[in-house]
Amino acid sequence: MKAPRLFQLTALALVLVSAVEVGWWLLDQHRFAVDKVREMHEVYEQQVVAAQALLDAKVPAAYVHGLLPSVIVTNQHAALSPQVDRQLIAEEQRHIAQYAWEGSFFIIALAACIAVIARALRAEARVIQEQESFLALVSHQFKTPLASLQLSLETMAMRPLSPEHVRALIDRMLSDLARMERMVTQILESMRLDRGRIELRSEPVDLGGAVARVIAGCAERAAKERITVSADIERGLQVRADPLALDVILRNLLENALAAVAPVGGGTIAFSARQAAGGEVELTVRDSGVGFRTGDAARLFQKFTRLHPGGGSSHYGTGLGLYIVRRLMQLAGGRVSAQSAGAGQGASFVLTWPAGASRPDAAPGAADALEPPARGEHS
Amino acid sequence: MTPPAEHARRILVVEDEPHLAAGVVENLRAEGYEVDSVADGRRALEWLQRQSCGLVLLDVMLPEVDGFTVCRTLRERGDNTPVLFLTARGDPADRVRGLEAGGDDYLAKPFHLQELLLRVRAILRRWDWYQSASAAAGLLRFGGNEVDFRAFRARAWNGMTQELTEKEAMILKVLAERPGEIVSREDLLERVWGYDVFPSTRTVDNFILRLRKRFERDPADPRHFLTVWGVGYRFMTEDET
Repeated sequence: MKAPRLFQLTALALVLVSAVEVGWWLLDQHRFAVDKVREMHEVYEQQVVAAQALLDAKVPAAYVHGLLPSVIVTNQHAALSPQVDRQLIAEEQRHIAQYAWEGSFFIIALAACIAVIARALRAEARVIQEQESFLALVSHQFKTPLASLQLSLETMAMRPLSPEHVRALIDRMLSDLARMERMVTQILESMRLDRGRIELRSEPVDLGGAVARVIAGCAERAAKERITVSADIERGLQVRADPLALDVILRNLLENALAAVAPVGGGTIAFSARQAAGGEVELTVRDSGVGFRTGDAARLFQKFTRLHPGGGSSHYGTGLGLYIVRRLMQLAGGRVSAQSAGAGQGASFVLTWPAGASRPDAAPGAADALEPPARGEHS
Repeated sequence: MTPPAEHARRILVVEDEPHLAAGVVENLRAEGYEVDSVADGRRALEWLQRQSCGLVLLDVMLPEVDGFTVCRTLRERGDNTPVLFLTARGDPADRVRGLEAGGDDYLAKPFHLQELLLRVRAILRRWDWYQSASAAAGLLRFGGNEVDFRAFRARAWNGMTQELTEKEAMILKVLAERPGEIVSREDLLERVWGYDVFPSTRTVDNFILRLRKRFERDPADPRHFLTVWGVGYRFMTEDET
């Protein structure tokens, strides 16, 4: 067992013992208060008996009352003053009430401690379990490109090959390495998102520029896979986002689309954006790839979901890309959805950013935009 | 469907990862095998319905229909073509699942090329032996039972038709080649499975129990499949008593 866990369990045991002790202490104090009042009562009763003896010995009543003030004398008969009786009962109740309050406070405090520790222990167990399944999944994902790399290298080591064949194997290995690199990037991004370590800025970003940058970054790969990537985004259209996070979102979306189109032997990916009613900005990424079954739309954005729509799309995915997209969109106050008419029918992903940074004059709903208008000539 | 002899050197590779599929296909071709490849489980089943081969290299995590299901479907169709599973999940539970689905062997990714080629060769060699042995002696009669090795079918003493799995038929074949002799469990493992695919020789015992249930009048008091304690088994064609 790890030291922190042992420490937590020891603390839990100590707190539990303390709670039991406080309970016992409360009972004890209650008994003590009752006993003490009874004893006092007995002392007063003895005073009454003594007073009665004095009265019987013809000592004047006034003298007896002066000697024993708690005793009152009526018709030569001694009795305890009702005021003293009331005082005794009040004393007992005050004592009990004091400990009841203090005791409950301690019990509540200890119960809170128990709850906190138990919660921490449960959370830790969950984290450990999640880490283990995460590691199992990640190592599983890495085995495929590793197997491919090993196979290519062993082929080169074992067989005499033509220069063309060697070139093909090198290309294959480079592509496997690039794939592994993308997986590492995605894993790190998703881990940072899970731990809430990402602090997002919120500033107006030019959407067209960001899309163009991401497309340029993947141009070589798209060309190699015979995929045409196009963008139709109005100039000056802005979204309120973190520029780096926006880059990650767009890159993951594009990579997802590339992975969907590659298995069908090439096709198209089209980015288009428009300002929706209410000032929201909507970006649509449409691809002509393998698509997915309609019922799978929600599952797509879950961690480690890699659908097999029929064309072997599993080749490039880590199952993290769309999860990252959704998390980052949520953090930016936006949303993302996916549609497909079915396997082999292509797919489209729609990202929606809240109103706020888009060209304020483009739609009436955007009039409260925080940024000055980028271009003011339209009405 | 059982592969005809002329297709014994033909291999179907079922793998959805393009690089791995290409690498495996190239290497098997370089070894002189005739190789075809498909990228998902459904196409694999379609291919196997139309054509035959000597071995299927089957990835487990496949689009459409997974590898285990492909293998199970194949066996249900009565197709005994040997299957070698390739998978990224190498844990023992997964291995057992593969063998239960009717697989012959199991190789975890990433694998060594040499090992893949050795295993392919071993499976094909065992299959070659079984086929040539069955061609030479296709029928076996003992104690009222009649076994047709080529059809993987038998008519038991009680008139029941028994469909044999490939492993059952192979074990029976090994035993029948040496009637009256003691055959060790290790020998059976080596001849039928090739090497330590299974964790223990207990697997052999389970197969013998299955054969007794099929062919013995009283499986609890066997007359044909006799246990030689601590060593292995002895097959008797006639009742000893």
